[in-house]
Amino acid sequence: MTDTITAGTDQLGTPGQRRTAPDRVLQAVYYATFIIILLLVTIPIAALVFGSFRTAPPGAVGEWTIQNYLNLFSGGVLSSMVTTLWIGLLSSVLCIIIGTTIALIVHRTDFKYGKLITAFVGLAFYFPSFILAMAWIIIGAPGGVINAVLRDVLGITGIASDIYTAAGIVFVMVLHQVPFVYLTMRGPIIGMDGIYEEAARTSGAKPFAVLYRVTLPLLGYSLLSSFILTFIITIEQFAIPALIGIPGHVHMLATQLYLLVRFTPADYGLAASIGLMLSVITGIAIWAQRRVTKTGRLTTITGKAGRAALIPLGKWKWPAYVVCFGFVILGLLLPMVILVYTSLLKWFTANPMNGMYTTRNYVFIWESASTLSAFWNTLIVSGVGAIFGVLLGLFASYFTLRLKPTGYRFLDFIVTLPFGVPGIVMGLGLLWAYAYLPIPLYGTLAVIIIAFVTRFLPYASETIGGQMVQIDKSLEEAAWVGGATRLQGVGRILLPIISPSVQGAYFLLFMAFFREISSAILLYTGATSVVSISIWAFFEQANWGLASSLSVIATLIIFIAMSLILWLMPAARKS
Amino acid sequence: MSISVQNLVKKYGSLTVVHGVSFDVEKGEFLSLLGPSGCGKTTSLRCIAGLEESNGGVIKIDDKIVSAPTQGIMTPPHERQIGMVFQSYAIWPHMTVGQNVGFPLTIRKMPKAQVQKEVDEALEIVNMRALKDRHPSQLSGGQQQRVALARAIVGKPKVLLFDEPLSNLDAKLRESTRSEIRRLQRELDVAAVYVTHDQEEALSMSDRVIVMNLGHIMQEGSPRDLYRKPANRFVGDFVGRASFIDVKRDGEVWTTEDGTRLNVAGAKLAQASGGRHQAMLRPEAIELIEASVAPAGTSTDPEVNLIPGTIGEGHYLGAYTEYMVKAAGSHIKVHSLADLAPGAPVMMRFARLDTRLVAVPE
Repeated sequence: MTDTITAGTDQLGTPGQRRTAPDRVLQAVYYATFIIILLLVTIPIAALVFGSFRTAPPGAVGEWTIQNYLNLFSGGVLSSMVTTLWIGLLSSVLCIIIGTTIALIVHRTDFKYGKLITAFVGLAFYFPSFILAMAWIIIGAPGGVINAVLRDVLGITGIASDIYTAAGIVFVMVLHQVPFVYLTMRGPIIGMDGIYEEAARTSGAKPFAVLYRVTLPLLGYSLLSSFILTFIITIEQFAIPALIGIPGHVHMLATQLYLLVRFTPADYGLAASIGLMLSVITGIAIWAQRRVTKTGRLTTITGKAGRAALIPLGKWKWPAYVVCFGFVILGLLLPMVILVYTSLLKWFTANPMNGMYTTRNYVFIWESASTLSAFWNTLIVSGVGAIFGVLLGLFASYFTLRLKPTGYRFLDFIVTLPFGVPGIVMGLGLLWAYAYLPIPLYGTLAVIIIAFVTRFLPYASETIGGQMVQIDKSLEEAAWVGGATRLQGVGRILLPIISPSVQGAYFLLFMAFFREISSAILLYTGATSVVSISIWAFFEQANWGLASSLSVIATLIIFIAMSLILWLMPAARKS
Repeated sequence: MSISVQNLVKKYGSLTVVHGVSFDVEKGEFLSLLGPSGCGKTTSLRCIAGLEESNGGVIKIDDKIVSAPTQGIMTPPHERQIGMVFQSYAIWPHMTVGQNVGFPLTIRKMPKAQVQKEVDEALEIVNMRALKDRHPSQLSGGQQQRVALARAIVGKPKVLLFDEPLSNLDAKLRESTRSEIRRLQRELDVAAVYVTHDQEEALSMSDRVIVMNLGHIMQEGSPRDLYRKPANRFVGDFVGRASFIDVKRDGEVWTTEDGTRLNVAGAKLAQASGGRHQAMLRPEAIELIEASVAPAGTSTDPEVNLIPGTIGEGHYLGAYTEYMVKAAGSHIKVHSLADLAPGAPVMMRFARLDTRLVAVPE
């Protein structure tokens, strides 16, 4: 070894701290990461705050005012606020009940089709909310499938369905959010040590008594945490309340903000203050969720997780089938079938016998330059944008968890801030910001990528950071001692070991970007439309056929991309 | 001198964890840093490795300064030519055994063929040649430990550092690995610094032991000196088992609380450090004689102590029985082969040289 190492040790008296070149590379990367993340996160928030005190729309001459905040207490905003809260709470409660029930049935009972249900719920998780909402509008609107069946097939006229109500929003919201609850609850349910249930069994408790007296109470903190997260996603949700609520005049804060910006008389200042208020609500909810997970680290997961005994369903077999398959049918299969059906019709009719079938919708998509460019844009935004997101998340995690240079705590803080900013609010913030910034970003794909990357940055850094904290620091130290510089230690040891979570984060961001609509809806222009926006636009023009065919294609792409990514990167599956 | 540490100071914020520690390690010497958790032993080792930046003092490896904060010198670990074994082994999970061991060579751009040759040699030394292509997840704890050892020695470092390398092994394996580590270090003839909280490990492996507490060196010496002539109560208590009896000076002699006179050794050293004093007795250094066969009265031999006592509790441990003997106003631990009933009167006989006077800091 002596001849392979240059013993570059300074002799006594050499002044100055020795810093090797690789250290300087890391230093430069740190500064770049810090500045980029700082700009990404603070610009839209600062612009929003600025806008909330202005009388005029972005870019126009205006004056300072606090009127926008006073207007928050007007009847319209207050009633939206109340609607937002009760729809959020009710949806979350229902989601928790249904999602946890499915998770318990699949993982803790002798239910036979657990794997099938898990696969379907996984697909439903990636089924975009606006496509689900559209499908249910086709089914449940006054001119939709249900009423046609009631009237024309069954001859019933007394009752009619109308999805354009608050109940309709809750219904679709629950269908959309149940997979999230299932996915957050299955980890704690599978990981729970069977010893607690065994102790209850030996104390004389029957299987269902074990469930109510031991299993569910032990899951308490996980349930509470999942409930709060579901609540946050629900009140942030834009597509479902917009598609269903706006025609039915049921307004939530997110949709009211959209209406204030998109329709005259526009009031950008009030929209900004509503956006800030919504961010404050989600911010408080996130803080509460963090508190819950911190205090609630019950030692139910001991690592040696002995498999707990499966509960025999017995006479509860059929109710279990109804819950599990009922959800899969309502949340995934029926909407898909309806979309395929609608996409093949010349004019919409609820009776398949009267339908005039055509492939013109698909031909139109193939021949329409604007739709093809939307596909191309989506591919760039998801494929390339996700790379930026993952890199920023990776660097942020490395610096805040490993290198810990000056200011790393502040970096850690700003990285998590976008968690509290709903997508539509992020879009509004950027709308305000780019009216004043010297760089001509408005109307480019870049601004959409910026919006998406900023919004999902915490997801990337949480996914990667979550694995990085679990990796023993001495693995890197052993490399340094063995002759590797810090940079080599990162490249040869840390990166290969955390690559599963990096792949997982890429997968997560790719999927999220592909489906994202709320932060793009205020930022797109004709040239920068993405697939989700195109579907939205077709639907707004009441062109159900085109909207359906494009939805079918988008959904197929999502499912194909999902299996392709899982096949190419087996490691991504774990996160 | 292979390693020289002078006045090493390490602070975390306002908390000083190493207070001006100094020691040297010669080529071929095996030095242990022994102490309870939080005594600064691991921190000192990590400063030598360059994994922690010290706040004061000078560290030299092979007569070259590698760390001297006042002169702005801080050689990063990868330039220090050291081999280190970590407590958690730190075997990289994404590399095979061969790749793990070869890392210190490939990172220095050694030709492939030579890397293979040296990796094979290193694995041969630890008897792991056959498992070269295994992945770490397929290895037992003891095997991972050997891989870590091979990786530490493969680059033929000037200095070997060990951070509690045996604490994750079971008792049997620990003993065999001890002698293996020692054999390796002798063969390579390098300086070794070994951090441990296990006094048995330190005593059995080391040429020299440094006992540390609260960031200070308590005593430095050969294992025998530490055990037989502890410099203070802390060392006597931490290294081996011992009973302590409060004593005070009465003219030229030392007496216990109840007036029993004791012939003690090490009085000069103990008195120099001030404070209260205690007599330290190792349990195996005391001979128990049944009172019926003991000579009556006290011994007049100044080299021997003969004290009457009563057997208290006894714990049968197979090789011997550990008795608590009530004597001289105190409870004294004694290891004896004799079978004695609680309450039995006995005489305790122990040499003056085994009655070590230690200072108890106030």
